Amino acid sequence: MILPDFEYRKAETVADAIGLYNEFAGNVRYLAGGTDLMPLLKHRLSTPAVVIDLKGILDLSTITAQDGWLTIGANVTLFALKQNQTIRDYFPVFYQSLEATACETLQMRGTIGGNLLQDTRCIEYNKSNDWRVARGFCLKMGGKTCNVVPGARVCLSNYCSDNALALISLSATVKVIGPGGERAMAIEEIFSGKGSKPFALEPGEILTHIRIPMEKSKGAYEKLRVRKSIDYPLVAVAACLKEDNARICVGGIGPAPRVYDLKGLGTDRVVDASRSTYADAKAVSNTTLSPEYRKRMAGVLFRRAVNKALKEEK
Amino acid sequence: METVNVTLRINNELTTLQVKPNETLLETLRERLDLTGAKASCGMGSCGACTVEVNGMPLRSCIALTVEMDGAEINTVEGLKEEEKLHPLQESFMEEGAVQCGFCTSGMIMTAKHFWIETLRPPRRDHQGALFQCLPVHRL
Ligand SMILES: Cc1cc2nc3c(=O)[nH]c(=O)nc-3n(C[C@H](O)[C@H](O)[C@H](O)COP(=O)(O)OP(=O)(O)OC[C@H]3O[C@@H](n4cnc5c(N)ncnc54)[C@H](O)[C@@H]3O)c2cc1C
Ligand code: FES
Repeated sequence: MILPDFEYRKAETVADAIGLYNEFAGNVRYLAGGTDLMPLLKHRLSTPAVVIDLKGILDLSTITAQDGWLTIGANVTLFALKQNQTIRDYFPVFYQSLEATACETLQMRGTIGGNLLQDTRCIEYNKSNDWRVARGFCLKMGGKTCNVVPGARVCLSNYCSDNALALISLSATVKVIGPGGERAMAIEEIFSGKGSKPFALEPGEILTHIRIPMEKSKGAYEKLRVRKSIDYPLVAVAACLKEDNARICVGGIGPAPRVYDLKGLGTDRVVDASRSTYADAKAVSNTTLSPEYRKRMAGVLFRRAVNKALKEEK
Repeated sequence: METVNVTLRINNELTTLQVKPNETLLETLRERLDLTGAKASCGMGSCGACTVEVNGMPLRSCIALTVEMDGAEINTVEGLKEEEKLHPLQESFMEEGAVQCGFCTSGMIMTAKHFWIETLRPPRRDHQGALFQCLPVHRL
């Protein structure tokens, strides 16, 4: 499938990129590794006038440990993160989510910034233009109805980043810079909860850094997918344990991950919390597996992740 | 659309080209340079048939732009053999009969080159995400 026409610009600094954003009145898309963006463009799900390549911004390409935080630039590839010893030693849940993302060739190209800001997915959405025209545009394409749940008023496309779940369980924060200035927030605050527009970012904002508090943790990442070698999560759970507390994040179902904070890790508490995922998970028939199965598996993976993290050697 | 000048070192030969910004590396290799070893299959980054090596790492060329590659060193399956001697991976694919129709084989080899030869460890996880339906998998 050929790409639509667009111009290409390469930014050297964040200010440069925002300058280009303004120059083209926002009719642009930012490009990192392109592993999410290129398929969207090919499907004509986005048709920007200009693609602004962020890979030349060196400030966004480093990992530094300082002042009790590990700071990761948005341009760092998933493969480079896997080689980082601090991540292996301190954040096992993150190492495991990186390892579970797509396949290694795509990890070499895909960046962490692009991974977090990848669009939500749906079996009725990630399709060619011809297919979608024939079927009729859905809510996420600006149409009036959902093609999965007739009559639905909101879009329940799935957010499929593996690493967002791990980073949420690690209480990471993100920094963004846009035409209106700079701000920082907890990573879970980047989600709007709306499948049609999944991110609560202002127009033109660039994700620059992710920061993780440097505390050793136990953790585990569990992911349900059809093909183990390469596949998006159909439901996934990240668990991060610090002393007697756990932060658990469930994703792959619906437009935003869901967080569970547990105080105390007795079997009853874990089982109770894992059961509440069933009602919380708003699964619909928009993937290759049935909603009922994915809902049930949320609790199973929840318990599996916590148990695996508990068993992990200190 | 403005065209852009890019200089690439492809299989050890420097080439300067004028490309449109929306041209993929796969299109450049196959349609301009007649290097048809990398195959156009899914076109969406899923299958790996289009894999070539860029700056020492395997890359799915169907979802990468040629303009992004300015200054890059690119190796394709055509450049693997030295003089008339095939690369050991090509030899072993032949010896083991790890080919059925052969369409995806160049992508397999360019992926395997990194995971097998460069890092001296066998690929894990079902041949690292290369999707194949027909290939005699056990032969890999
Ligand atoms: C076959 C296949 C399988 C995959 N499987 C998985 C999987 O299992 N799990 C998973 O998590 N992902 C998966 N992915 C998605 C994707 O490969 C990864 O999420 C990757 O990390 C995306 O990063 P990128 O740099 O390529 O993003 P890009 O495609 O460059 O960007 C993605 C989005 O983020 C925006 N963006 C990028 N960087 C910034 C920034 N700094 N600031 C603001 N906006 C930005 C872009 O405009 C775009 O909208 C898969 C992709 C493919 C093709
Ligand atoms: S053709 Fe490029 S990955 Fe399938």
